[in-house]
Amino acid sequence: MKPILEVCNLSTNFHTQDGIVKAVDNVSYNIGRGETVALVGESGCGKTVSALSVLRLVAEPVGKITQGSVFFDGVDLLKLPENEMRKYRGSRISMIFQEPLTSLNPVVTIGSQIAEGLETHKQMSHHEAINEAINLLKLVGIPHPESRVNDYPHQFSGGMRQRVMIAIAIACKPELIIADEPTTAVDVTIQAQLLELIRGISKELNTSLILITHNLGIVARYAHRVFVMYAGRIVESGTSLEVYHHPDHPYTAGLLASVPRLDEPRKLRLEPIKDQPPDLISLPPGCAFEPRCGYAIDQCRKEKPDLIEISRNHFSACWVAQKGHKPWQKKSS
Amino acid sequence: MTVTSEAKVISTRPHHTLWGDAIVRLRRNKFAMAGLAFIVVLSLAAIFAPLLTHYGFAQQNLYEILQSPSWKHPLGTDQLGRDTFARLLYGARTSLAVGIFTQFIVLFIGLPVGAIAGYAGGKVDNYIMRFVDVMYAFPDILLIILLRSVLGGSIFMLFLAIGLVAWVNIARLVRGQILGLKSRDFVNAARAMGGEGSYITWRHLLPNSLGPVIVSVTFNVPRAIFTEAALSYIGIGVKVPTPSWGAMIQDGFNLIFSKPYMLLFPAIALALLMLSFTFLGDGLRDALDPKQRR
Amino acid sequence: MFRFIVRRILWLLLVLLVVMFITFILMHLVPGGPWDREKALAPKVVEALNKRYGLDQPLWQQFGNYVWGVIRGDLGTSYSWADRNVISILLQGLPKTMTLGILAFLLAQAIGIPLGVAAALKQNSGVDYFSVLFSTVFASIPGFVLGILLMIVFSVMLHWLPTSGWGSPQQLIMPVICLAALPAAQSARITRASTLEVMRQDYVRTARSKGLLENRVRIRHIFRNSLIPVVTIAGPELANLITGSFIIENLFAVPGVGRLFVQGIFARDYSLIMGGVLFYAFTIAILNLVVDIAYAAIDPRIRYD
Ligand SMILES: Nc1ncnc2c1ncn2[C@@H]1O[C@H](COP(=O)(O)OP(=O)(O)O)[C@@H](O)[C@H]1O
Ligand SMILES: [Mg+2]
Repeated sequence: MKPILEVCNLSTNFHTQDGIVKAVDNVSYNIGRGETVALVGESGCGKTVSALSVLRLVAEPVGKITQGSVFFDGVDLLKLPENEMRKYRGSRISMIFQEPLTSLNPVVTIGSQIAEGLETHKQMSHHEAINEAINLLKLVGIPHPESRVNDYPHQFSGGMRQRVMIAIAIACKPELIIADEPTTAVDVTIQAQLLELIRGISKELNTSLILITHNLGIVARYAHRVFVMYAGRIVESGTSLEVYHHPDHPYTAGLLASVPRLDEPRKLRLEPIKDQPPDLISLPPGCAFEPRCGYAIDQCRKEKPDLIEISRNHFSACWVAQKGHKPWQKKSS
Repeated sequence: MTVTSEAKVISTRPHHTLWGDAIVRLRRNKFAMAGLAFIVVLSLAAIFAPLLTHYGFAQQNLYEILQSPSWKHPLGTDQLGRDTFARLLYGARTSLAVGIFTQFIVLFIGLPVGAIAGYAGGKVDNYIMRFVDVMYAFPDILLIILLRSVLGGSIFMLFLAIGLVAWVNIARLVRGQILGLKSRDFVNAARAMGGEGSYITWRHLLPNSLGPVIVSVTFNVPRAIFTEAALSYIGIGVKVPTPSWGAMIQDGFNLIFSKPYMLLFPAIALALLMLSFTFLGDGLRDALDPKQRR
Repeated sequence: MFRFIVRRILWLLLVLLVVMFITFILMHLVPGGPWDREKALAPKVVEALNKRYGLDQPLWQQFGNYVWGVIRGDLGTSYSWADRNVISILLQGLPKTMTLGILAFLLAQAIGIPLGVAAALKQNSGVDYFSVLFSTVFASIPGFVLGILLMIVFSVMLHWLPTSGWGSPQQLIMPVICLAALPAAQSARITRASTLEVMRQDYVRTARSKGLLENRVRIRHIFRNSLIPVVTIAGPELANLITGSFIIENLFAVPGVGRLFVQGIFARDYSLIMGGVLFYAFTIAILNLVVDIAYAAIDPRIRYD
């Protein structure tokens, strides 16, 4: 199966007062048609930036994509002129943002905010687009869509706003949806509903879905494959089940230990990974996870490990795992 | 885990670095430094005016009226033969005095009123703010003119008139700052440890709102200078023969066609002084803006 | 909304009453009275005049009479203007002050808003530096100093424009520019700052992620939000233009309300001063009310109740 999206060696930097932040560093991943993949990592590890880079929405001139290519349906998006790129956004690739509270324009009705993509890409009249917006609101489960279409974002709850964001994202029936932590900002009780809604819709439309999350606990249920990010790099990738049950990187194992697991009796204590993620301005010369890692060896301090296939379709960027030891697996299972 | 990292952040960023950083940033701001330089030079010139010119500000010489700039009178003379350069220097005293002394009155009233409103809250706050609202409904300069007529002619009464109108801004600012800081942890911590009300206000809250107050005062100075000049221009500012740039502009105005520079020099001096304070105020604001701290 | 407006109008009336009271007290504290002349009038004459204008009554009664007059739309008679009605005097100056104020306001917005927007869209460009310099310089140079400089250049040196007076369009040019300078600077500064702020917002990124044309992103998503603060200061700006114009009116000898007011002060014309203060306070309050209502109209998050 030819992937719909193929990201190769992508790097994105931010130039700040304190120095250059390597938010995304030589990242490669791909996603097939109709597939769902998860991009997982702690907050600040570059998930959002890597998604924004695909759409070329990184805030310039502070942020800059410095290398790599992003093939979508065979076309390198990074080489397109801006007005060609624009035609992909919203119509073929769309994004659901992390913060439903701030991601909707407070002074425009949600109907218009859904409709404007349709007017732009599908050449609909405003009237047609608003009617379509009502259908979309119904589809994402908003009650009384005919009247709510004229409401403003502040009249909706957080969960409802995220449904509106979903309606905006699916309006033009895109081939790829990037959902950036769509449930982080909403009530726990609503999180599962929203994820089910996104999954149902992507299945129905046969849309590919990149699900960004910091919760490794949910990926097994929603994603076929998973990419684990740490400090701007991908440190492990594989099928969700493989990664979930046999993590090949101590960071992944740490993430798993810090979330409730569905396949185990409720743990009394969740263990967060010790210390904070590193400063992306001055990364250590070796493995970026080494300072927090309980299994580090000498080599980890000196050289950066590459992402290497350890078992079939299961990749890891860890010197210890690449030598065939996985002491963390015993501990976590 | 989070507790230790918080503690680390606080200990590596001690409070006084805000001021250290601010001074470094301020010194990098060329406009602010140029403004400060002009203010300092003008202040020195005003203080040492008798060393820079041997003419008195009220010294008339009817044989040398309305002279053009020359070696003897670098900026010419006015209709009474008074030396324009001397009057400009002594006029700077008036402008600077009004600009600065007014701020003492503003702070003397504004700080306590704002602090009381912010700290006491409730009814007290409500009444004070209503009163402030009424003050805002009054056109500033009209109230100053009325006060000016009531308080009489001395220059100290002029400070008072301007100060009595201008304190509301500071009061509002301090109140807002205190309301914002009140909810922050270290004040609660101090109160939990049994700190007494007013002590907490002065020990913790005021030092924290000092930055915005300094900025606001810096912006108030040119406003007061302008007010004095405008009043003197209309003829209800400082009394003759006290030299004032506003009064010099008025004197020169009738002769605008024949001796335009009589008007030009004080006008430019006034513009430069106000611009300097604005540059300095902008620089201070940018330097003290916590949003810029990374 | 309706209740909000009613409440605000009641508050406005209270404020005007307090303003009248303060002004009244201050005026009567002023040493001297309206009959002070170079040559002192005979005590008999003063007594007669006081009686005629009700100045022999106790202060509280005078104040009561005045307020009752204001309620009936009567601001009293001027002492210095040969018994003319204060309202008619103010109405004579009003069109001039309003013309200057409104023209200056329009000019200020026409310069300030596009300049601020252009500066924000091209941050750190030449336009941006120009706009920052423009706002700083004109925010700090007083209008009457600017007026003097303009006069020296355009009247004295070039002989293009008349220095003063009222009646011809040429006579409007310099006073309008002097009045417009400060609000233009303020508008440019606020527009720039708020546009920069809005451009960073998540919803602008959302708009871009929909693939909208750049113009649509700017007009619907950026400007509609970034101009909200500009509207909120429009009220105070216009109020400042109208109340602050008396220096400019003096400079350019425009017979507007401000000039009348200053003359009133010199003549200790109590009723004219009072009328002027009332007029200014009323203008400020009404403009603020209008702005609050306009604010609710552009920003759906604002609801008054
Ligand atoms: N506009 C920006 N300016 C500077 N640094 C940024 C900006 N946006 C993101 N970063 C930095 O890039 C890194 C990755 O951020 P992000 O992709 O948002 O992380 P997350 O994985 O939580 O989505 C962070 O260290 C963040 O500080
Ligand atoms: Mg993120």
